[in-house]
Amino acid sequence: MSAAQPTLQQQVHALYSEHHGWLYGWLRKKLSCPHSAADVAQDTFVRIIASRDALFGMREPRAYLSTTAKRLLVDRARRQLLERSYLAELALVMEAIEGAPSPDEILMAVQALEQIAGALAGISARAREAFLLHYLDEQPQAAVAQQLGVSTRMVQKYLVQALLACRQASLIIPA
Amino acid sequence: MNRVQADSIAEQAAHWIVQLSADDEHTRASAHAGFAAWKAQDPLHARAAAGMESLLGQVHALRGPSAGDTRPARAALAAVAPKRRRHLAAGVAAAMLVLAVAGLAASDRPAYLLADLRSPTGQWRTHTLADGSQLTLSSGTAVNVRFSKGERHLQLVQGEILVEVAKDAHRPFFVDSRQAALRALGTRFTVRQQDDATILSMLESKVAVQLPQHAGTVVAAGQRTRITAAGAGPLEPFDAASLQDAWRAHQLVVDDRPLPEVLDELARHRPGQLRYDRAQLDHIRVAAVLPLDDTDQALQLLLDNFPQLRVRMLTRYLVMVDAPVRNPQKK
Repeated sequence: MSAAQPTLQQQVHALYSEHHGWLYGWLRKKLSCPHSAADVAQDTFVRIIASRDALFGMREPRAYLSTTAKRLLVDRARRQLLERSYLAELALVMEAIEGAPSPDEILMAVQALEQIAGALAGISARAREAFLLHYLDEQPQAAVAQQLGVSTRMVQKYLVQALLACRQASLIIPA
Repeated sequence: MNRVQADSIAEQAAHWIVQLSADDEHTRASAHAGFAAWKAQDPLHARAAAGMESLLGQVHALRGPSAGDTRPARAALAAVAPKRRRHLAAGVAAAMLVLAVAGLAASDRPAYLLADLRSPTGQWRTHTLADGSQLTLSSGTAVNVRFSKGERHLQLVQGEILVEVAKDAHRPFFVDSRQAALRALGTRFTVRQQDDATILSMLESKVAVQLPQHAGTVVAAGQRTRITAAGAGPLEPFDAASLQDAWRAHQLVVDDRPLPEVLDELARHRPGQLRYDRAQLDHIRVAAVLPLDDTDQALQLLLDNFPQLRVRMLTRYLVMVDAPVRNPQKK
């Protein structure tokens, strides 16, 4: 099977030329915006090419493509939901304060929130709440303990869990 | 280094970091010294700590844009937080999230997503129906088409439509809104669905308004009426030619209307949020022709005409309009 084995580049090329049009059409039906469909189609191929193992011996390329695209759509939806929720609440807060944050500041905040949300997704609701009360709301550990109805030692345990989850999350993010 | 070692180092780093913000001042001071020494021991220690510290730095920075108010960050995280533990249902939850967000983007009503014909925010769509009638959907509009042998019905779920009815003597044509059934006696008209009212504007010929338990009203070309649960309001004259032009050119034509009404209309054509305080802006009356397919320009035109306005564009998706009264000369 040595000579017949296609190169990675040939594989990518074949996959792209045979299925890109189909994937784009499939996404167009799901998304009202043609630009988003093109973006997601592009991201799907990038994601698949990045995990090059998947390219070889792919039996059902379209099933694989649509599964990857669906995952991207969910990520995208989550990001939009997060951004909208942030902006909606920020608008309310803004009414009470002078000046306005710059678009850059907002973009950075939204990106940070995405990362934090990803990190905290894997831990319990209580550990997450302890983390946010202490590090975001900047409440003393004893006050956090009181709010959650647990000991300060328990709060410290929660915080350690959350910090370890942060580390896990940063390891998982693809290079 | 193996995995077990790495995990153990990470755990030590986390313990140190938690001690750094202990309530007790002595504990904090000795943690600072201890942590520094521990990091100096081994570059792997420092690296394990750096990831966590940088994330905490990001958490702290979240307070910046909102001047220390953590509600925006809280709301964002709550919106995407996993709901309980339901690993098996994760696929379903994800699908619902997509639905929820698509719904947020286009409308708050799920009926929008299920309708036969839709136009997303900021876009117009024209369809030729099976009977040859022309239907134009304005931004954020949804319509169900129910044609049968005996009758033709369009159900206006939300938004605004322009209908040009093809003649068919045997099949009467209706637009059904939440408030009334509008039976087309002639050709061209627009119907707008608001929350609590339907607005019918006749461009050509006539429409009969039928409401449950009310006498019918016939609206003729150049007349407009607002229909609520209480019946059809008085017939008011309007300029049919300019309304027709406005539809063709995707413009908003307003003549002496309060600014919040104009902003409502712009908001309907704009993805994202447009925020304003109705009470504060209500006294500003607007007469203008504004482009609806370029709401940025429309806002700019309003700003040019009303220097007392302030438009703050935080992102393309969040714009705030107000008329600040304090310090008029200070920027």
